[in-house]
Amino acid sequence: MIKLRMKLALFNLLSKLVFTLLFLLLLPFLIERISLLQVDNELIQEREQVITLISRIGIEPFITSDNGNVFGSYNILKEEFISLERIDLKEDANYIDVSQRLIEGENITYRVLNYSFKVDGNTYLLEVGKSLSSILHTQKNIKKVMLLFLVFIILITFLTDLQYTRQLLRPLDIITNKLKGISNPSIFDKTPVRTTTSDFHHLDDALIELMRHIDQLFQNEKEITVNISHELLTPISVLRSKLENLLIRSDIGSEISTKIEESLKTLHRLQSLVNSLLLIARIESQQYLRDESFSVNEVLHEIISEIIPIAEDAGIIIKEEFENDFHIKSANRSLLFSMFYNILNNAVKNTPSQGEVIVKTTLYENNYTVTITDTGKGMTETQMSTLFSRFKTKVGNNPDGIGIGLAIAKSIADFHGIEILVNSIIMKNTSFSFRFPENS
Amino acid sequence: MNVLIVEDEKSLANEIASFLKSEGFLCELAFTGLDASEKIAVNLYDFVLLDLGLPDYNGLDLIVEARNRGNDTSFIIITARGAVEDKIHGLNLGADDYLAKPFALMELFSRIQAVARRKFNILNHNLKVGDFVIELQSRKITCKGNEVIITKKEYDLIQYLIINRNKVLTRNQLYEHIWGNILDDQYDSNFIDVHIKNVRKKLNEHAPTPWLETVRGIGYRVSLEK
Repeated sequence: MIKLRMKLALFNLLSKLVFTLLFLLLLPFLIERISLLQVDNELIQEREQVITLISRIGIEPFITSDNGNVFGSYNILKEEFISLERIDLKEDANYIDVSQRLIEGENITYRVLNYSFKVDGNTYLLEVGKSLSSILHTQKNIKKVMLLFLVFIILITFLTDLQYTRQLLRPLDIITNKLKGISNPSIFDKTPVRTTTSDFHHLDDALIELMRHIDQLFQNEKEITVNISHELLTPISVLRSKLENLLIRSDIGSEISTKIEESLKTLHRLQSLVNSLLLIARIESQQYLRDESFSVNEVLHEIISEIIPIAEDAGIIIKEEFENDFHIKSANRSLLFSMFYNILNNAVKNTPSQGEVIVKTTLYENNYTVTITDTGKGMTETQMSTLFSRFKTKVGNNPDGIGIGLAIAKSIADFHGIEILVNSIIMKNTSFSFRFPENS
Repeated sequence: MNVLIVEDEKSLANEIASFLKSEGFLCELAFTGLDASEKIAVNLYDFVLLDLGLPDYNGLDLIVEARNRGNDTSFIIITARGAVEDKIHGLNLGADDYLAKPFALMELFSRIQAVARRKFNILNHNLKVGDFVIELQSRKITCKGNEVIITKKEYDLIQYLIINRNKVLTRNQLYEHIWGNILDDQYDSNFIDVHIKNVRKKLNEHAPTPWLETVRGIGYRVSLEK
């Protein structure tokens, strides 16, 4: 992808080059025309001067029978000549042409003005010539200068264009930067961009307004989630206490006890659901603090030692491969605990007996990464694409899970700026990588 | 011990009262903040179970009022709001514990017990179960003078069952006690079974544990003669 600024500058450069090329192609022709016109004008002027001179002092000083009725004069560099000759002409001559003249053994090309006039019944032919070699030389020089000048102009205008468009499009750059990496409309910088271009002003205004609106909608949605959740928790609480009080009574049979326990279990699922939605809503509305500093490896170790009994029971080995430790600053320990616990627990649940789960920590180019890999069933592309959506995935076949654990893990990761990468080979393995931000 | 239950949801207040009465508590109820405020001013309670979402009162103000009067009643906050700052604020104001709704009645009971041990300074309170002694202060289990080596989670599990002795605890209730609400989605009934199996094995190496019963289809119970 090319930046708009570059595109504009390149287009300008290209169009200039095309025009310049056209100009350079036409240039020799133009210069020739112009210089010939110039020469012709000079020739005509000189003719006028000669004619004026003859009419003042007569033809005799030039034409005598001694010189065979021919007068000629040229300057020492043979750039110009004037000749006057008595001649018999059937028609009047008044034209300019190019012809060769032999002067002192040298053949030179001249632009020659031929002009006939009559004095005392005699016809005379006046020829005024100018050498074309000087013209060609001038042409060459002009071409060189022109070329240099054009190259210089193109370079200068290209650079100024680039600078100007950069200046002109700066507000657009600022707007683009504001939009870059926005994960949440609430963190969109709502200070208006300073610009004198009305288009950018409108664009910026519209974006700010849009972001405000989305932010408001998000906020409303979160508030609704929180409020509904609270409203739901009280009746759940009432039902739960009633059922628990029933269950501890000694005068009920085992059949009724079992039914009560089943009801409690169902109620617990409802409670989990509400609590999970509430948890996500709270994380997303930044209600948790990130004010703890601790070693991530220690957290991982704690989780592993909690899960080991379950893993051992299922015949699964958990391997700790800690290459580097990482002291995270400003994080929420219990949320991170929950996130890793979720993933590690899922990994153990999805690994068949004799399988293994590897927890690895690495530090690569300032990026601390935790990778949890299992040798389970793996996932298809479709499964992976909906992995972090609420209620869409039921990883494994745990009937007690409600399919929201990964959505929670994702919101905790987002809250801490941690990037989650998932890799999976079907029937072989699945790995979750957590890449911590550089300055955390 | 006498307890005041401040809760505007009447049927919940009644259930809590009925449970605590069966555990030998004296219970009074207040459904409004004003009623609660008057009752706390007049009577001396060991515990106040306080719902923060009262229609006429900010629950936390009740703690402030009581403390200003030099009243050292223990407050346990029970609330559906459960926001982090509520919890911190409540504990800072001098609440003794905090429970998010919905909670298990047995959890409430075990919290009250813990607060009571601190409040009445019962530091060397030990529970005897069969040949085992549960040392609540040092969180250890011994058998005929020998310490039984078990994990922290296993200890929590066994202590919770013993404090709620003679009551069946469901796997859900046990799970919730040990892992709390934050890991809700991870609930797996197998978890508790594995832990109980491990605890049993470890305890059985020292002495038999007929008192640790599996109640089919429901959960587990520690049965002790009253």
